[in-house]
Amino acid sequence: MTTATERDAIGRIWNWRITAFCCAILFLVAVAAVSFGPISISFTQVFKTLFNLPGHSTGIDRTVILQLRLPRVILGILVGSSLATSGAVYQTVFHNPLADPYLLGAASGAGLGATIALTSTHHDLAGALPVFAFIGGVLAVAASFLISGKFFADPNTLLLSGIAVGSFATATQTYLQQRHSAELRPVYSWILGDLTSANWGVVKWSAIYIALALAILIRISKQLDGLLLSDEEAYSLGINPKRLRMIAVAAATLATATAVSASGLIGFVGIVVPHLVRGITHRVTNRSLPTIAVVGATFLVLADLGARTLLSPAELPIGVITAFVGAPFFLFVLRNRRKASA
Amino acid sequence: MSTDLGKIVVTDLTVRYGDREVLKDISLDILHGKWTCLVGPNGAGKTTFLRTLLGMAPYAGSIQDNGIEVFGSQSKKGRNVAFVPQQPHIPQGMSVAEYVMLGRSKRDGWGKDSRVSRQYVHKVLTETHLFGMQNNMVSQLSGGEMQRALIARALAQQPNLILLDEPTSALDLHHQITVLNSIELLKEDGVTVISTMHDLTLAAMFAERIIVIKDGKILLSGEANDVIHSAELKKAYDNRIDVHTLSTGRPVIVASKD
Repeated sequence: MTTATERDAIGRIWNWRITAFCCAILFLVAVAAVSFGPISISFTQVFKTLFNLPGHSTGIDRTVILQLRLPRVILGILVGSSLATSGAVYQTVFHNPLADPYLLGAASGAGLGATIALTSTHHDLAGALPVFAFIGGVLAVAASFLISGKFFADPNTLLLSGIAVGSFATATQTYLQQRHSAELRPVYSWILGDLTSANWGVVKWSAIYIALALAILIRISKQLDGLLLSDEEAYSLGINPKRLRMIAVAAATLATATAVSASGLIGFVGIVVPHLVRGITHRVTNRSLPTIAVVGATFLVLADLGARTLLSPAELPIGVITAFVGAPFFLFVLRNRRKASA
Repeated sequence: MSTDLGKIVVTDLTVRYGDREVLKDISLDILHGKWTCLVGPNGAGKTTFLRTLLGMAPYAGSIQDNGIEVFGSQSKKGRNVAFVPQQPHIPQGMSVAEYVMLGRSKRDGWGKDSRVSRQYVHKVLTETHLFGMQNNMVSQLSGGEMQRALIARALAQQPNLILLDEPTSALDLHHQITVLNSIELLKEDGVTVISTMHDLTLAAMFAERIIVIKDGKILLSGEANDVIHSAELKKAYDNRIDVHTLSTGRPVIVASKD
């Protein structure tokens, strides 16, 4: 005989209403982001145009909505969700709350790859930038693993070697930039990270990789909780911890490398957003990965909205906004978490 | 009541960490549905033996479960081994209920939290006196509570075989007995229990069979009562133990002073 109280005693571990609520917020923020700009377009107009309802905008407004702002917002969603999810996954895999996609060298590697593509004498290589960025990112992570010695033997050694590989890649990248001063501007604007390059072409290719990577990560998200335990415990619960870590790191690297190659190096998302979600819900479970993805997307779309409206018509690099807003907010969450656990 | 549930047969088992042989040509039988306890000094290879049975240590030799090679190509399916480590990795920000629920993943599929599972988790939390703390964070539990949470997770797993590495080391006397009692209950469902234990008195109290292991070799293996009174046990501890028998007939093993 089971009573209602008994059933409620062991509640569901993740409340899907939180995820649904965050999705609703993301939708509102996205509509607002399409609406605001040098040319202001009303919410209803945006809504009608997006869903092709009677009375939708025509002419220049329509172009602004569908060709300029919408791809930019969607790219923001893709990049934000990638960075936040990868950060959360890295933190789980390495048992380290400070791990983020950039620490393992994935982003700096991708940065170096992209710089090689941009500064290459063959200008048509710029079109293959994402491929270069991706290969760079994967190579950097692989190098971190090789240098750290035994595969996943010690997560701390791996993080340290990731930092070394990352610095090396960044140094090489700087050297290449100085050698090719003519290409300095595109390289720099790429490094600072922005979504200005957004168009449907960029959105399309990055959506393919990011959707694949996120699908894998969300599919394995529940198993990832097993990696919060020791390997023996995980194994007894039916997980092959080494294989799971490899899949998780590969997918997170794919997402990060794609995000970086589409939008440059945007800092702080990968570390702030997972801590924000986990801090507010007091839950470390990776069942929150979809929510972390949605909040990451919202955060980046908002940051981009700030980047292009605060000094309008000039644009701020989005990384400035993410760090400017992210850092104090992060400290606030940390402080609250310390209080809660005290 | 004891019916023959078969046995695990270990033959010529050798395990190496690098160049070091941690287990050397071990051969022994482990009876299903019984509690077997590994005793011996630190570094004898007890934990390694558990890890090998779990499937986490590469080995030479053979481990057969009722005639089938455990890690061979045929087997593995339906194998449900719970492992209670001596030093667990305690996650931050995970509630006791979530932690114990992880034990259901093999039965239920990851993250299903079916109704049956939630009821079962409720049951084991009550058994381990953790009910009421299910929403506390595991990282904030005391040593004894954490140990009970670990046991609760293993119970939630409804395993065929449970491996426990020093299950009582963090517990006070009262909880030592409650935890060991709840492990003993598992045997009624035919679960095979293999544990290591430093407390020989407790080992004698709960285990039916005791294996004495030292320097990676087996000194003696047999019925608990025989082993406790054997010369080999004393030898394993360099003759630094005294075995006394209470008026109830229960053996008590204490360290001897020079």
